[in-house]
Amino acid sequence: MKELVRLTDVTKVYQGGITGALNGVSLAVEKGEFTAIMGPSGSGKSTMLNLVAGLDRPTSGSVSVSGTDLGKLGETGLARFRRDHIGFVFQFFYLLPNLTALENVLIPAQLKGDGSTDRGRELLEKLGIADVADRYPARLSGGQQQRVAVARALINNPTLLLADEPTGALDTHTGEQVMELLGDLHREGQTILLVTHDAKLATRHAARVISVMDGKIVDDARLASPERAPSEVIRMRSEEKLR
Amino acid sequence: MRAVLVKTLADLRRRRLQAAVIFLTVLFAMAAGTTAVTLMSQTRDPYQIAFDKQRGAHLQVAFNATTDRQLMSNTPALIGASASGGPYPASNIQFRFGDRKFYVDAVGRDNPGGAVEVLSITSGRWPLANDEIVLTRSFSELNRISVGDRLKVTSVAQTPSLTVVGEVVDIDEGSADLSSQRAWMLPAALPALSTPDSSFYLMDYRFPTDPTSAQLQSSLDRLKTSLPAGSVAGSLNYLLIRSIFNITNQILTGVLVAFSVFALAATIAIVATLVTGIVISAYREIGIMRAIGFTPYQVVEVFALQIVIPALAACLVGVTAGTLASQPLLANSSHALGLAYTPTFSIGLDVLFLFGGLLVVAVAATVPALRAAQLKPIVAITKASAPRGAGGRLLRQGAARLRLPRPVVLGIGDAFARPLRAILTLVTVLLGVATIVVAVGLPRSFELINNSETGAGNYQVIVTRTSAYPDSEVMRLLNAQPQTARVVAVGGQNVIVPGVGDPVNTHLFRGDSSRLGYMVVAGRWYSAPGEVVAPAALIRDAHLKIGDSFTGTANGQPLQLRLVGETYDINNLGHSLFMDISTMASVTPAVEPFLYDITLTHGSDVSSYVRRVATAQPDLLDVRASDTSLIAPVKIIDLVLLILAGVLGLIGVGGVFNTLLLNTRERIRDTATLKSLGMSPRQVVVMVGASAGLLALVGGLAAMPLGLTLHHLLNDAISGSAGNDTPPAAYGVFAAWELTAIPLAGVVVAIAAAMIPGRWAARSNVVEVLHAE
Ligand SMILES: Nc1ncnc2c1ncn2[C@@H]1O[C@H](COP(=O)(O)OP(=O)(O)OP(=O)(O)O)[C@@H](O)[C@H]1O
Ligand SMILES: [Mg+2]
Repeated sequence: MKELVRLTDVTKVYQGGITGALNGVSLAVEKGEFTAIMGPSGSGKSTMLNLVAGLDRPTSGSVSVSGTDLGKLGETGLARFRRDHIGFVFQFFYLLPNLTALENVLIPAQLKGDGSTDRGRELLEKLGIADVADRYPARLSGGQQQRVAVARALINNPTLLLADEPTGALDTHTGEQVMELLGDLHREGQTILLVTHDAKLATRHAARVISVMDGKIVDDARLASPERAPSEVIRMRSEEKLR
Repeated sequence: MRAVLVKTLADLRRRRLQAAVIFLTVLFAMAAGTTAVTLMSQTRDPYQIAFDKQRGAHLQVAFNATTDRQLMSNTPALIGASASGGPYPASNIQFRFGDRKFYVDAVGRDNPGGAVEVLSITSGRWPLANDEIVLTRSFSELNRISVGDRLKVTSVAQTPSLTVVGEVVDIDEGSADLSSQRAWMLPAALPALSTPDSSFYLMDYRFPTDPTSAQLQSSLDRLKTSLPAGSVAGSLNYLLIRSIFNITNQILTGVLVAFSVFALAATIAIVATLVTGIVISAYREIGIMRAIGFTPYQVVEVFALQIVIPALAACLVGVTAGTLASQPLLANSSHALGLAYTPTFSIGLDVLFLFGGLLVVAVAATVPALRAAQLKPIVAITKASAPRGAGGRLLRQGAARLRLPRPVVLGIGDAFARPLRAILTLVTVLLGVATIVVAVGLPRSFELINNSETGAGNYQVIVTRTSAYPDSEVMRLLNAQPQTARVVAVGGQNVIVPGVGDPVNTHLFRGDSSRLGYMVVAGRWYSAPGEVVAPAALIRDAHLKIGDSFTGTANGQPLQLRLVGETYDINNLGHSLFMDISTMASVTPAVEPFLYDITLTHGSDVSSYVRRVATAQPDLLDVRASDTSLIAPVKIIDLVLLILAGVLGLIGVGGVFNTLLLNTRERIRDTATLKSLGMSPRQVVVMVGASAGLLALVGGLAAMPLGLTLHHLLNDAISGSAGNDTPPAAYGVFAAWELTAIPLAGVVVAIAAAMIPGRWAARSNVVEVLHAE
């Protein structure tokens, strides 16, 4: 299979941070993979995802996606890269409150200068929310908002779909529905990198689970079949942290 | 209280940029306002002070040279004057200095003191010999003549020489750039300089109390009826002189008052926008403040103080700056009045203005801050910021339909997302652009009027003859010049018009006067003998309408006249008549022209023409190029307008800048989201710029009618103060392209100002912004 993402010895120290958020992470993700990143709060999951999306730059090491070394791109280059290659789904949706659902979905295409609405409507249809296309986010349920966000992430046919705890702000049932949706997309060939707290959800859909702890990858498990038990180590450690 | 201060100061540090915007706008508004108020409070006084100090004449009357001296000395008692001066013998003389010629009214007087019209000597001394003369300082300064210079009198055949021995300030005449001037000699010196038609007597009267215009008029009427007909040749009263003195400062104060109200209104709009913006974006903070024990009232205090502190600093600096800025103008008028300049200001007034300004700003800050007090703490904490309204949706949809690029569409929607803020911003833009329109237009109107009064573009050379050199000779000399294209000869005569107190100065033209550049305000220029045109003040005072016929009196002989048009002429504050010289044909003695407006053939060299004609008759002719430069007061008004336009323009830019700063800050999470979706830094800048551009465009377009109306009104007020109606051409001084270019320039400036918040948004780090949520 073709390699899509490569992190080489990546570290990230935030301004004012004493310890690194990421401490020497190397990772490769192949095209078509559904990878889940798990780990306790503050372990560096979001940081990793942000670096892959080109939203932030590593302190050292390199990140390349689709053969492009993100370190070589300027701000405009990164914006263009995100537009063309990345779809991002956030925990808190981050829909633009003054745009309708459909308008939100269309934004990334329009930023590229593509004015057609057909694909946007198609996506809403596919995600089962065509009936709320003209509503404003304030009048959508959490699940509907997250579906709109997923549609928005998909509008430019991204090479890579990144999702940072997409179910974190949803109730269990709605969360499961969104995960089903990601599973469907994966089956259609979409490469997905998912950050989640929920081991059950991760193992049900993802074929590979990467465990992160204190800014390091501590486990990288390829599951032969979904539903396999998650890494014991991780569960123990995260429960420890929670206490 | 301590907690409130600590929190306020911390907030101020955090919102330095906003504090700077407040500081600057309040500073400009206060400086302009203080200048206006200081001028207003002082301008009336200096004239009165000087008038009292120099025992100014309430009424001055010129008597015919043949009037009996004894009769004249009885006149003060006749009209109830408490003091009088004269009768002084006087004569209108012409003299030469260098290659220039001047007219003054030479008055014979033994000494500069007396009960009325004390002349204060500012340099030199009073004449001691018959060949010595004293000039007004105003005249000397304007024409650069100084004590010791020698003048050659050219209006009498002997052409005697006079030495300037002193300069005085005379409170009973206007300044040299606006009025004809007097000069003083020993009475014994006058006969040698007089000709029968140039001499007269001058008398000064002072009344126990300052008389009204009506009282002055009735005194004048009593003089006329008790003396032989025709004895009173003219009169001048202190009200007229005072208004000539004050006209510049009056116009200036009017302009300053109008525009400082503008500046203050714009400042209020900015303050209200800013406080509303801070409150909106600080919901969570307000909630936390309430939770930790701030009372609602203290919360309001924190927000209002954030504005009041920089405003207080601005008021202090602004009031000082305004007081200082008014000093040169005040120094100018006290100089003209012969008063020693002492820094003039009133601490009380300054303090009043300072606290008044501060109060207005404080109210503008407190009212929107009250919203913070009304918030329930729990709602505030959970909401983070105020919900945004649906404003801007329609606009965005419209823009989308125009197929504008998406960042532009988003920016346009953002501009009106908060309608109240958008409206307040539009107000600042509106006022700024309207002021700029006035500052562009008014100087042009002035120039247009100045050109018409000085014949710019219509005639280039003015020749004045003395009576020793006959009209026919002048015409022969002028017509012999190959460069002479056209000569219009001008004569003068006083005409008594029913209903008008003083004889009316009448311009009599021989030749095509319609091409001298006089502006027709209504009706038409005269085209036949018997037809006259006049400025508004005369038409009004004589109760005439265009088309009316009336009987004037010239040299005691009736004259059938018909008013066919209204013209513009500020001389004698709009009291003059214009007609063809043939209208006077029936009047004896025949009026002869003494002045010639000469149009040269295209491409002729004016100065060599002037030199050639002048050398032909150096003593008997005064030849000069028409001086088309603006008079000093107009230059001052133009400058003040320019400064005001700058100030209000800046406040307008400040308004847009402030709003964009608030908008981008409030919307930084949305912008971060857009960036995560692939919006490039350039697209972010375009989005913010589009917001600014739209606000400036709408405000600018709305400002055009306001600016044009204001330009119209100010023109009317200024023309009106000089006894005229505004000529239509003075309204239409804007080219069509300019009416588009001014708002467009505003758009460009606003977009440039938007670059600061735009780039800040473009550079913001997505991860940090979203992390901070
Ligand atoms: N913008 C930032 N500035 C400073 N420190 C940050 C920033 N973002 C994250 N951190 C810190 O870096 C570390 C890793 O954060 P990160 O958000 O990647 O964790 P996470 O695994 O996503 O946690 P969570 O499960 O709570 O979302 C944490 O200690 C966090 O406090
Ligand atoms: Mg996270």
